[in-house]
Amino acid sequence: MTRGIVLLLVLIAALMLASIAYGDHPLAWGDLFGEDPEAQMIILDLRLPRALLALLVGMGLAVAGAIAQAILRNPLADPGILGINAGAALAAMLLIVMLDGPSIQSLAIAGFAGAAVTAGALHVLSWRNGTTSTRIILIGIGLSAFAGAATTLLTAFGDIHDVQRAMIWLAGSVYHADWSSVRFLALWLISPLALAFIAARELDLIRFGDAAALSLGQRADLIRGLMIFLCTLLSGAAVAAAGLIGFVGLIAPHMARRLVGPAHARLLPMAALIGAALVMAADLLGRSVIAPAQLPAGITTALIGAPFFGYLLWRQRHVTA
Amino acid sequence: MSRPDPMITAQGISVGYGRGAVVEDLHLAIPEKSFTALMGSNGSGKSTLLRSLAGLITPIAGTIQLAGRALRGFATKELARQVSMLAQGPVAPDGLTVLDLVRQGRYPHRSLFGRWSDADDAACTDALQLTRMADLAGHPLDSLSGGQRQRAWIAMTLAQQSTVLLLDEPTTFLDLAHQIDVMELLVQLVRERGKTVVAVLHDLNQAARHADHMVLLKKGRIAAAGRPPDVMTADRIAQVFGVAAAVMPDPIAGTPMCVPLADHRPADE
Repeated sequence: MTRGIVLLLVLIAALMLASIAYGDHPLAWGDLFGEDPEAQMIILDLRLPRALLALLVGMGLAVAGAIAQAILRNPLADPGILGINAGAALAAMLLIVMLDGPSIQSLAIAGFAGAAVTAGALHVLSWRNGTTSTRIILIGIGLSAFAGAATTLLTAFGDIHDVQRAMIWLAGSVYHADWSSVRFLALWLISPLALAFIAARELDLIRFGDAAALSLGQRADLIRGLMIFLCTLLSGAAVAAAGLIGFVGLIAPHMARRLVGPAHARLLPMAALIGAALVMAADLLGRSVIAPAQLPAGITTALIGAPFFGYLLWRQRHVTA
Repeated sequence: MSRPDPMITAQGISVGYGRGAVVEDLHLAIPEKSFTALMGSNGSGKSTLLRSLAGLITPIAGTIQLAGRALRGFATKELARQVSMLAQGPVAPDGLTVLDLVRQGRYPHRSLFGRWSDADDAACTDALQLTRMADLAGHPLDSLSGGQRQRAWIAMTLAQQSTVLLLDEPTTFLDLAHQIDVMELLVQLVRERGKTVVAVLHDLNQAARHADHMVLLKKGRIAAAGRPPDVMTADRIAQVFGVAAAVMPDPIAGTPMCVPLADHRPADE
């Protein structure tokens, strides 16, 4: 556990340095801590906020994913299953069609609102004398499909340039990061992250299913509702800040589980660090491979995440029967 | 013989899921510090009754009382400190060890910010020793045999340290030796720890040998309840299970033993 955390912290520090040093305008190591005003501008106004935003987004997505997997008792769950991504995309697209050239900020707000509305609708629709994970998953898939279809329909009515901008935003990237978005996201994430860590024990138990959880004295429906709320706050904010960065919410918790086991007190911090490293690495890679063009981080997370995940599964093939 | 006080009483309860009651207008008293076997054919409402006694389902009508207090009046955690329930064929999340599972039993004893205490440790150690699982505490659940896994779940239920234990078919799918292990453990819990145990069982002879009290259910109603020698008669077995059987004393324990007849269908219903 401790060794894993230290290694990840070192990795994150290395990624941070690399993100600051590397780019269209490469900086020498000496410039990083020097007095050169141009270098300082590049570092402080462009690269540092971008790296920090990637870090925060990764943490939010990973912890939201771990929560979703626990409450839905499904290893394939991620915040997307709660309809959060599709809801955010639909709201953003609606805004684009209704307004003329909406700002990135308003897209972010609409994205968060869409995520929250979808998650709320999901919880209401799946409530029938309490909720069950199967019903939540099925209704979540239905809502996502509906929102997805509506989004596609709307693209037909939007101005082609606005639609393209929205598509880029939705593809998930941190290229427009600045200090205000970093501060906002940090403040936004801090309480749901803290609450999730405090509730680690509740997450441990709810994975046993409602019958076992109830007979041990857990109010499973209440906990599930609260956890869906936390999950929405975390991933909705991540989506608002960086668009749809898929795959992190799915694989970061899995990687963490393979490293520190299933107890959430250890799993959640580990997943948060892995998620942070993943999104930072994805962004760094995305703006390096075909520079000066940039790949959105949302695409790179899948490109680097999937093979690494495969490697983890392969390496541990003999461990569990 | 003086009857022990009832630990759980059900007064005129009806329980159902959606339409139609599975249990109807049922009256029941579970004596305290004793081992009650809950029996009946498939679909007779045993599991439903057990789940309502555990507070997992609320009856549509009637009341259930635990030590004289209505079940509805208990907070969820408070009830879990009094009553533990082991469901039939429980499934644990992947990757847990025996100890991880047993530790979950301490949930109702911990507050939101409460740290793991010495009492929690002691309860887990005790539960592991009672079930003879101490040596396997660090093993992953997936690596255990069916009998060991069932004992691990029972250990979790024991770590809960409730006065009442409700077990739904704890011996099903176990081989004979493990079945006897579980039955003897339940008897030990009643005799040495003063627990009140209610278990859904299928083997009449095992139940008659180990249980103090026997409840026969038929179509959601009580067909008979009392001491095994009073309850286990040929007529009752024909009535409840639809099997013609002879009842004789068990040659080893002296408790009633039922043996189905060659032509086991009763003469008439």
